[in-house]
Parts: sequence; C-alpha cells; structure tokens
Amino acid sequence: MSTQILGIRHHGPGSARNVKEFLELTRPDIVLVEGPPDAEGILQWLNHEEMKPPVAILVYQPENLTRSVFYPFAEFSPEWQAILYAKQNNIHVRFMDLPMAHTFALKQEEESRKEGVPAENEIANLVSDTESEELMEYKDPVSYLADAAGHSKGEKWWDHFVEHRQGNEAIFEAVAEAMQSLRDELPPRREKEDTLREAWMRKTIRQAEKEMFQNIAIICGAWHVPALTNMPGQKEDNELLKGLPKVKVECTWIPWSYNRLSYFSGYGAGIESPGWYEHIWNHPNDDGTRWMAGVAKLFRKQGMDTSVAHVIEAVRLAESLASLRNLSKAGLEELNEATLSVLCNGESIMMKLIHDELIVSNKIGQVPIDIPKPPLQADIEKTQKRLKLQPTADFKDYQLDLRTENDLDRSIFMHRLQLLEIQWGRKYATAGKGTFKENWRLQWEPSLSIEIIEKGIWGNTVETAAGRYAGNKASASASLKELTDLLEETIPAELPQTVQTIIHCINNLAASSGDVMQLMDAVPGLVSVTRYGNVRKTDTGMVLDIARNIITRICVSLPAACISVNNDAAQVLLGLFSKMNDALNLLQEKNCMAEWRQVLLAVAQNKLTAPVLSGYATRLLSDCKLLVGEDLIQKFSCAMSSGNAPPIVSAWLEGFLRGSGTILLLDDELWGVIDNWVALLDELSFTDALPVLRRTFAGFTTAERKKLGEKAKNTAIGKGSEVVEQMSVNFDYEAAKRGLPVIMKLLKLG
Amino acid sequence: MSNLLRQHAEQIFGHELEELDKNDTGKRPANWKLSPQSVVTYLVGGRLKNGFEVSPKYIGNNRLMEIAVATLTTDRGLLLYGLPGTAKSWVSEHLAAAISGDSTMVVQGTAGTSEESIRYGWNYARLLAEGPSERALVETPVMRAMKDGKIARIEELTRIGADVQDTLITILSEKSLPVPELNMEIQAIKGFNIIATANNRDKGVNELSSALKRRFNTVILPVPDLMDKEIDIVKRRVESFEKTMELPAEPPALQEIRRIVTIFRELRSGVTSDGKSKLKSPSGTLSTAEAISVVNNGLAMAAYFGDGQLKAADLAAGIMGAIVKDPVQDKIIWQEYLETVVKPREDWKDIYRACRDLNT
Repeated sequence: MSTQILGIRHHGPGSARNVKEFLELTRPDIVLVEGPPDAEGILQWLNHEEMKPPVAILVYQPENLTRSVFYPFAEFSPEWQAILYAKQNNIHVRFMDLPMAHTFALKQEEESRKEGVPAENEIANLVSDTESEELMEYKDPVSYLADAAGHSKGEKWWDHFVEHRQGNEAIFEAVAEAMQSLRDELPPRREKEDTLREAWMRKTIRQAEKEMFQNIAIICGAWHVPALTNMPGQKEDNELLKGLPKVKVECTWIPWSYNRLSYFSGYGAGIESPGWYEHIWNHPNDDGTRWMAGVAKLFRKQGMDTSVAHVIEAVRLAESLASLRNLSKAGLEELNEATLSVLCNGESIMMKLIHDELIVSNKIGQVPIDIPKPPLQADIEKTQKRLKLQPTADFKDYQLDLRTENDLDRSIFMHRLQLLEIQWGRKYATAGKGTFKENWRLQWEPSLSIEIIEKGIWGNTVETAAGRYAGNKASASASLKELTDLLEETIPAELPQTVQTIIHCINNLAASSGDVMQLMDAVPGLVSVTRYGNVRKTDTGMVLDIARNIITRICVSLPAACISVNNDAAQVLLGLFSKMNDALNLLQEKNCMAEWRQVLLAVAQNKLTAPVLSGYATRLLSDCKLLVGEDLIQKFSCAMSSGNAPPIVSAWLEGFLRGSGTILLLDDELWGVIDNWVALLDELSFTDALPVLRRTFAGFTTAERKKLGEKAKNTAIGKGSEVVEQMSVNFDYEAAKRGLPVIMKLLKLG
Repeated sequence: MSNLLRQHAEQIFGHELEELDKNDTGKRPANWKLSPQSVVTYLVGGRLKNGFEVSPKYIGNNRLMEIAVATLTTDRGLLLYGLPGTAKSWVSEHLAAAISGDSTMVVQGTAGTSEESIRYGWNYARLLAEGPSERALVETPVMRAMKDGKIARIEELTRIGADVQDTLITILSEKSLPVPELNMEIQAIKGFNIIATANNRDKGVNELSSALKRRFNTVILPVPDLMDKEIDIVKRRVESFEKTMELPAEPPALQEIRRIVTIFRELRSGVTSDGKSKLKSPSGTLSTAEAISVVNNGLAMAAYFGDGQLKAADLAAGIMGAIVKDPVQDKIIWQEYLETVVKPREDWKDIYRACRDLNT
C-alpha cells in the first residue's frame, strides 16, 4: 500500500502538468482532492461533454444566501486534472477538505457570538474566509523562500521554480520539504480552522486506507503537505472533529471566466495571468515565439503595423533578458518588457490591450444546461414568479401603475436590476400625466445569466446585490453629476441604506469640489429627486438638506465664477444658470430663493461679470419683480449705452432676452423697455444690433415671434393695449359660455 | 585631484569599473569590458562579492536598466526616450563607459548636424593634394566605434534632420558603412552598437521614420515616481558636484532638498503633495536635473556670497529661474502657488519671504 501526497498550487499550470504525469505513471486506485466534500455529488458532471472550463463549484447555504463559496477550476488547475483523470479512468475520487456544512455552521456560531457587528463586511468576509486563505497560506510563507532566493515576490519565485520548470523529477518531494521547513520555522497561524481542516483531511485519508485502497494519491495545497505526512494519533483528530455543528448546504456548477479568475474581480484566490497560464499549459515548450506571434496578431487586428522582424527581435530581447537574470527561459515579465520595448516603442498604452486580451483573456466557461442554479439567479427567478413577470425571448411591454402594490413591487424590482446593470428591462417615457405611471419593455437574453452570476459577488438577493453594487459605485465615483444620477436611479429602487451612502458621498464631494459648474450641474438632478420622492413616499428630507447645502455653496462662489470668463464658458454657465433657476423655482424654498436672488443681484451689478450673464441675471431679477420701473430702465439703458463696445452690448442683450418670448408678450413693462431702446437707436447702431437681435429672437417659437411682430406693429402706431380692448369689445360672451363645458371636460376639471 | 572641469564617467568611476572587472565571472559578449550582469550592477549599484560597494548611477526602476543592457547584447540599437532631465544622457554615458570603457564616441544631434558628422568627412587639403585616399578621410565617432567594436552615442537624435537620421539605417541593419568614393566599406567589429537619446517635449523635433524606429528598442525613462527617490537623486548628485567644484559650503540639509523637490513635484504634477488641491503647471518641465542645478546654484551662492550655509534666500533665485520660463504665464502661476500653497505652510515662511522679495 502506498500513499502519495502531491503538494500543488491552485491554478498552477506546472503543478497541473506534474500531477497529470504523476497520476498516469503511478496509476492510483483512489484520488483525494482538497475541496468541499459537500460537492462530491456533482462531480459526475465533470466529464459531461457540455462542461467547458473555466467553471466553478458554488457551495451555498439555502437558508442564508449571503453565505456562499466559489471553488473555481480552469483547465490548468491541478485539481481539475486530477478529478478528470479519475473520472476518465473510472477510479474513485473524493474531496477531503472540511465540509462547507460545518464551516458555515461554525461561522454562524461565531457571528452570533459577536452579535452587533454590522453585516457590511460580509462580502469581504466571504472572500477572505474561504478560498483566499489557501492562497494566503502558501503565498505568505513562500515569500520567505522567495526572499531567500532574491526574488521580489513569492508568486514569481514559485512560478519560476515550480510552474515554469521543464523537468519534474522529485518535484513533489522538494515542495514537501520546503513546506516542512517553513512550517517548522514560522509561527503557526489561523490555528483553529486550519487544524480542523487538516484533521478532516487526515480523517479522509484514514478512511481510504481502511477501505483497503492500495495506491492513494492526494492532491492538496502545498502548505498542507507536512500536516498530512506526519499523521498524529487517530484519536486526537476524532476528538477535534467531534460534535461539529452542521447546516444544510447546496452546490452547483456555474460558468466562470478568466477575468474573474484574476485578481481584479474582488475574488481572493485569484491568479494574475490566467491567459498566460493557459498558454503555458497548452504549449509548455514555447520559447516565447508563439506568445509573441499572438501579440503580433492582436496588434495587427488593432491596425498597428507589426512585422515578423518585430516578433523576432522581441523574442531575442526576451531571451537575452532572461539570461541576464539567470533564468532558463523567458517568463511573462521578460516577454512583456520585450513587447513594450520593441513592439510598442516604449509606450505602455498598448500593454493594457495585451493585458486584457491575452494575459487575462476574456474566456468564459460553460456548464451543462440541466444543472441547478446559483442563488442570485434563484432569487431573480423567485421574484419573477411572485410578480408575474415571465422572462421571454421576445419583448413584452408593461405599463405599471405605481399606486397598486404589485406594480410598485415590479417597478422596484426592475429598478434594482437596472442598478445592477442587468439589462432585462428598459424604461420608456410615459405619455400620460403624473409620475405614478411607468412604461417598461422587457426582453430576456441568455447572456443575462452571465451578468447575474457576475453580480452574484455583490450579494445573493437582488436587494442586497443592488444595494452594495450601487454603494460601491458611489464611493468610487468622483463626479457629482454621476452621483446625483445614481441617486436618481437608486431612489425608485427603494434602497434606503444605499441612498444614505450616496448622499454621504455627494456631501463629501460637494465639500471638496471647488468647481461651481460641477455643483450647478448637480442641482437639477437633486431637486427632481425630491419631487420623485413624494410620489414614492420615501423620506426625501436628507436629499433636500444636501440640495440646500449645495445651493448655498453655489451661491457663495458663483458671483466670482462669472467674472472674466470667455465667451464659450459664459455660454455654458448661461445654460446652467437657467437650469438652476428652474430648479429653484421647482424647489420653492424661501431661504434658497432669497440667497439666489442675492446672487443674481451681485452678478447683475458687478461690472466685471461676463455681459451675457449679467444680462440674464438682470432679466431674472425683473422676472421676480425685484428690479422694476425706473430701476430696470436705468439698468437696461446703462448696459445698452453707446459707451459700451458693441460686442458687450449685444452679449448683454442676448442674455437679457434669453427664453423670454412669452414674457415679452405679456409683460408690457419689459416690452416697453426694449421697444424704447430700439426706437432710440440711430440707423447705424440699429444695423449693428440687428444680428444679435435676430439671433436672440430666433430662439423663440414661431408663434411667439408672430405675436411679437403683431404687438410691435400695433405699438408702433401708438395703440399699445388696443389689441386687448378691441378683442373685449367684439367678444361674444354667449358663444363663449356654450364652449365652457367642453373646455372643462378637456381639462378634466368638471 | 584632476584639473579637469568635468571628468568622463570612466574617469570618475574608474575604480568601480576596475573592481567590477576583478569580480566578474559572467560571460562577456565579444569586446565587452564587463559581463551584462556587471554592467547592470554598475548602473544600479550593489555590493560585490569582495564587499566592494558600487554606487548607484541610476536611481529608479532596475528593470529598465536590465532591458537597456539586454538590448545592447542583441544587434538592435538602444533609444532612450523621455522628458528633458530624466537622466537619458547620463545613462547613455555610463552604459558606454561600462561596456566599452569609453564614453567619448559621441555625436551631438542638432538641427545642423550633417551627414558628414555621422558617416565620414573629408580633409579637403589632403583631398586636393593627394586625391581620394583613406588618409584624406575624416573619421566620425560612429565610424571609429565601428572599427573598434565600441558603443557610439548619439545625443538628441530627434533634433537631427530626417534625411540625416536615416543614414543610420544602413549602419544599424547592415552594420557596415560604405565609402563609395574609395570603393570600400567599413564593417563593424563585434561589440559595436548605438545608444541614442531623444526627448519628447521639445518643439520642432523630427519624428523618427518607421524604418529607423524599427531598428531601435525603445526604453522610456520616467520622472521619479516617489518623492524619496527624487530626493535621493538630488542629494547624491549635489554631493558629487560639491566634490568636483571644491565648494566650501556646508553640505545641504536634507530639509532644503526636500522642499525644492516638493515644489518641483507639486508644480509638475499639478497637485499639492497631500493631493488636496489642484495647481496650474508652468510651461517648463521641472525635471530632477533642474532641481539638482537649483541646489548646486544655491550652494555656490551660499559659499561665495553667504555664510556658507544653504539658506532659503540662496535658493529663491534659482527656483524662480527654473520655474518661470515664460515671463507672463509662468509668473502668474508661480505667484499663485506662492500665495496659496507656500504661504500657509508654517515652516516655509523663510522661503516664502525670500521668493516674495525677489518678485517685487
């Protein structure tokens, strides 16, 4: 009877090759693999023909979906190769790690012990508690070996000495010895859980021995090797494992992607370069030529001229770099440096492309369709059923009336999915009045399930996932506009906690931002949010506070921002001014209004203000009757006086008349001011003023222009108010009365 | 001490090169004075087997130096690229010194650099007297390097006109230099290669043709990424300057250097070092090299006009001179910086006062 322990690194292509060769050579009759025994039942799918790695085993607790663990496998994972070998040769294969049923239960106990710890860290916990500890275990200790060998990073050292190695005699013995010495030297870490896990592994090995298997092969993380070689007494282990708590868990296979296998997906047990690992798994003898050819192909696809000579030179440089560094073969770093220097002329922009397409690569796995589902997907399907929203391949339109409960829930659900960027539904503008209606068009696509799994890292229910995802996006954002947009999207999704987070972020950013324009950009969104809130019965007090706060900040710095700006910037500001004014009118806040009027006064009165802004501010002041009669006339003629340069005059007038068609028509005072001014112009100045007047008036609607024309005609012959009078003289009251009921009906007033 | 104003790299660091040679067991490419590993050690510094300490010449990413040296072992030229003052010429000089023991085969690229100064010229007196012959040929540094199997350096390659640049193509790809007048050619001896430097900031540069670009491996030398690194560079270079100039001034306090580096870094990157407020950047590049010369200038001022101690007042003029390159734009930027950033800093009062006095 022989027991062989093979220490490996998870997702190490060299380890995978060694394991495969070793198994084929020694032909064991049972293979024990480090992994959750809970998932043994679904191993049968592994050599299903529709199963294409990268895939992952998902273990989760159905009663508490926030507790789940992914065990990803790529083709070059040693575990995958070991299980594949066992399945192909019809020998036994068992997982030997501590079952997740126990691990989850232990965690549950621990959590209930330290009650009151907020659940926010859960994602972090999930990641660090599970697979990543395996990475930590061998990564940290290995860095000591790397230090001793003069390498900067533990992972690089392991890559060079184990994964990229050609010959593999006695490699497993060497690894075992190295780990043994590390475990002897370093103080033990994470004692409780590690001991439990290793005890369980030993228990599984003993079990196999008891069952009279002759030739046992054990595949586990290198760090565990010494613990499994030096078996302590059986009794001790049994003592440890006695009475472990247990919960119910479920497992499934899900498609995984290289992108999620890499470090950047927030998943702990990642590897930096899955694409590169796949390359060395498939082409172990490549000296870099094949890799470089791939790089050249990618560059050509992007329209960059890349010749064969480039490839030759790059491979040469990589080789001389390797020999300079005393390496037997050029690794990824050497190849990257050669690419940078030869193919990219030193510019690192294209390296990003290589990183995304080749080094990480965007390969996605596939699992057979008849496999059970992951939690977020399960939650979505459950909600779909509850709300009677069936996913269909063809699109279907829904009109939701938010006053009914079911429709409100549907709308909340759809908004949450939108927050998660799961593009199932699209919202359309409603034709009717009021904000209680929403139009949605739903269309399901198979690719959405990938999105759902991807978003699965944020939470296992739509609510938690959407909340965390939006919260995370908010804290990463650096633009106020983006944040207010996000807030607008989040409020209808009914995620009060996330809304708070976003408001907090907005507050912080508003405090640190010195850019008035950015602040002004944010105001209309915030104000419209407060309006939305009323319909949805959410508390908008906080949003209102923020809006007030931002408005105050704007009011403080706006007058200065209007000084000495060039024409283009002034035009942008002008747009913001009018939006801001609309928003404030919508808000109907006395204090804000008062502040705003002060600002308008300051802007209008400062001689250095850009003329177009000064003009607009003056108009707004006259609109709210703060500047009337003589004052207005004085201000107007002062700005229009011939002492000013023509471009300044015309800009001022442009601002003054902006969007004022109807007001001009109705406000006789304003009309009079302009009319008088035009009448006083001499021919030359009138010709000068024409273009700008024309430009300004072109902004009014045709009907307005027509009416203005009529009014001008009438005033010109000195009968200013006669239009109205004439109309009242010829008015047929009886006929009008008969029309009233129809109008009432039309306006829905009757 | 030698009388020379500035010594070549192989003269100043001759001792280090000797020690490296003694301890070098690696394989040396033909006509190289040192093995590639030792060349890298010479550049980035380190301790030799016999305990000899080699001073670092380039402080920054060691990998860049490895790429540079590895390039020179292949048959491609090396192009060092980057902002002015990022140690391109410095690195090229030391590379040549370490590899060939001779950093003097250098052609300075200018808008007026002609083909004759890269390939070969004629001694017209002799040409008229004796007719075309090898004796009438005037060798250029490039030609001599080819004959001796050494490294030739070309400074500011992009300043040279495009037609003249392209004469390098044959030299780099065929490794030969035809002399049709004499019906002969010079074939390069092993060990010959070219290091060119070019900067990407100057106006009026001549982009390399893609044919020429293809014959160079490019290494971009960045500005120092860490504050401490930059301080270290300035400190080392200033100390070596003191030595060569025999200045009586006291060595500059680290504090002074730190302040100058901070000012330069902040203005260069357009944000204050705490990352809280944004700044406008002046038109100059504000490289590390300029920081070094500001400190050197200050030292000289302190030594000859002051009390021998480096004070803020000695530095102020230098700082302003380095930053204000455009008298209108840069001056506003500098004043804004002075008033908004320098003034509020408690322990910067002296430098604020010194600079403000200069401004008025």
